[in-house]
Parts: sequence; C-alpha cells; structure tokens
Amino acid sequence: MNDDSHAWRQLEQRAADQLKADFAGRVLRVSRGPSEAAWRELNEVASDQLRLGFADRVLRAVKERLERPSWTGQLAIGCATVALCFAAVVYFHDRATRLQDETNMAAWEPLASESQYFGLRQ
Amino acid sequence: MESTQTSTLEATVRSAQQGAESAQRELIVAYQRRVAGFVYAVTGRSDCVEDLCQLVFIKMVRALPGLQSPAQFEAWLFRMARNVCIDHLRRERLRRIFVPFAAEHSEVAEPVGAVDSEELDALRHALSRLRPAERALLALAQEGRSQVEMAEITGTSVVVVKARLYRARERLREFYQPKNTHES
Repeated sequence: MNDDSHAWRQLEQRAADQLKADFAGRVLRVSRGPSEAAWRELNEVASDQLRLGFADRVLRAVKERLERPSWTGQLAIGCATVALCFAAVVYFHDRATRLQDETNMAAWEPLASESQYFGLRQ
Repeated sequence: MESTQTSTLEATVRSAQQGAESAQRELIVAYQRRVAGFVYAVTGRSDCVEDLCQLVFIKMVRALPGLQSPAQFEAWLFRMARNVCIDHLRRERLRRIFVPFAAEHSEVAEPVGAVDSEELDALRHALSRLRPAERALLALAQEGRSQVEMAEITGTSVVVVKARLYRARERLREFYQPKNTHES
C-alpha cells in the first residue's frame, strides 16, 4: 500500500513537472481572454510608433496636399489641353485645305477658259 | 464632468471645422494614441502604424467641414480609421497577388522591442488569427464604442453587430494562448 501511494506520488510529481511555470495564471488568462492590461499594452506599443511631432507632420501634409493640384483638377487641365489641341488641328487643317482649294481653282480657271475657247473653235 | 468634456470636444471640433489649426492639432494630439492602437489591432503590423495614422488624420482634417454633427466626431473618426485599415489590408492582399512574396517575406517578424510581454504577444497572435472585420469590431468595442455606433460604423444592424462581436470574442478567447503554449 505504501509502495503504491509512493508510486502515485512519483507519477503525480512527474506529471506536475511537465507543467510550465505559472500554469494556473496561464489557464486563467486563457479562460478569461485578453486582459485590459494587454489591450493597454497594445495601445502603448502602437502609440510608441508615432514619432515626435506627429501632429505637425500631419498638418504640413494636409497643407501640401491642398497646395498640390487635385487629381480631378489635373484631369480637367489635361482634357482642356487635348480639346484645345484637337480644335487647333481641325482649324489649321481646314484652313490649309481651303487655301489649297483656292490655289487649285485659281490654276484651273485659265485651263478651263482655254479648253472652252478651243472647244468652241472646233 | 463627462458632459463638460463632451461640450469641450464639440467646441474643439467646431473650431477645427472652421479651419483653426490649433484646434485641428488639439484633436490630432488627443486621438493619436487611440487611433494608433486601433490601427495596430486591426492591421497587426507596427511598421505601418504611423503611415496609416497619418492618412487617417489627413482625411479627418480634409473631411471635417463636412461633418454634420460634432457630437458624432469619435464614431466618425473611428469609421474613417476602420476604412483606412480595411483598404490597406485589401491593397496588401492585391499586392501579394501581383508580387507573390514567399511567406517568409510577407510575414517578417516584428522588430525587436515591439513585442515585450507574453500577454501582448498572445493577444497579437490571437488577433492575427481573426478576420480583419472581426479585429476591427473587437478594437471598436475596446475603444468603448456602443453597439449602435458599431452598427453605424460597419454599416450593419445592431443585431448583426451583437452576433459578430460575440463570435469574435469567442474566437479571440479560443486563440488566446500565452507563449509556449501556442508556439510548438
């Protein structure tokens, strides 16, 4: 009987040795979930990531963004430039075509009158 | 006492809406720690906290004139922070599709000193196992947002928020294992 209980105690001791330090604390932590302290620590680690002068950097970035033309503004300028270029191309093409027509007509007029003259003579 | 604080906050928000830089600075300083904690809880990365916080506050300053009710400022700010974090995580996921990093490249360990206690490590580990929407919900609850506010922020109903929050808490508890028990 004594041998038995001694063996049991040894078995218990052996099993207990497998448990890591602060076993009870761990079990309680797992069952309760993260504590307020853990969340607070998370917040502290996160706020430590913000370098000094964070607010000033944000306000400076806001100003820079305001001074920089917006994406829609840039798009509007781009569209206006394209429209202006297109109108210029159409205008100059039309003008060149009209001038060419006038030159051609001017060259054709003597030819037409000559051919008319020869046609009447025949 | 609380109503005095609320009226002071409302006055600061109104002043910031009118473009007063000192009021805007005051709001940033007052909320930077809480927003940083929220961003860290949702993204799980400390190296992007400053960039994302900066983005949140830039959006805040630019959108402040459009805020209808200064009393809703906190909920409005955290909605903005949630959207910035979710957008960031979505972009990261897209980036991984086009630039397929190996797991060891995309899951670089936190810098030394960023994680100091066993409990924090366990919390980070548990949060990393949850979906971003669940992390955001838990972080909002931790921030003291009411379920009605959470429903407004996430664009769902209070009943849905209750159910999701309960599930998120259960899952967090399930994955919350202090060091040496979750690391095999």
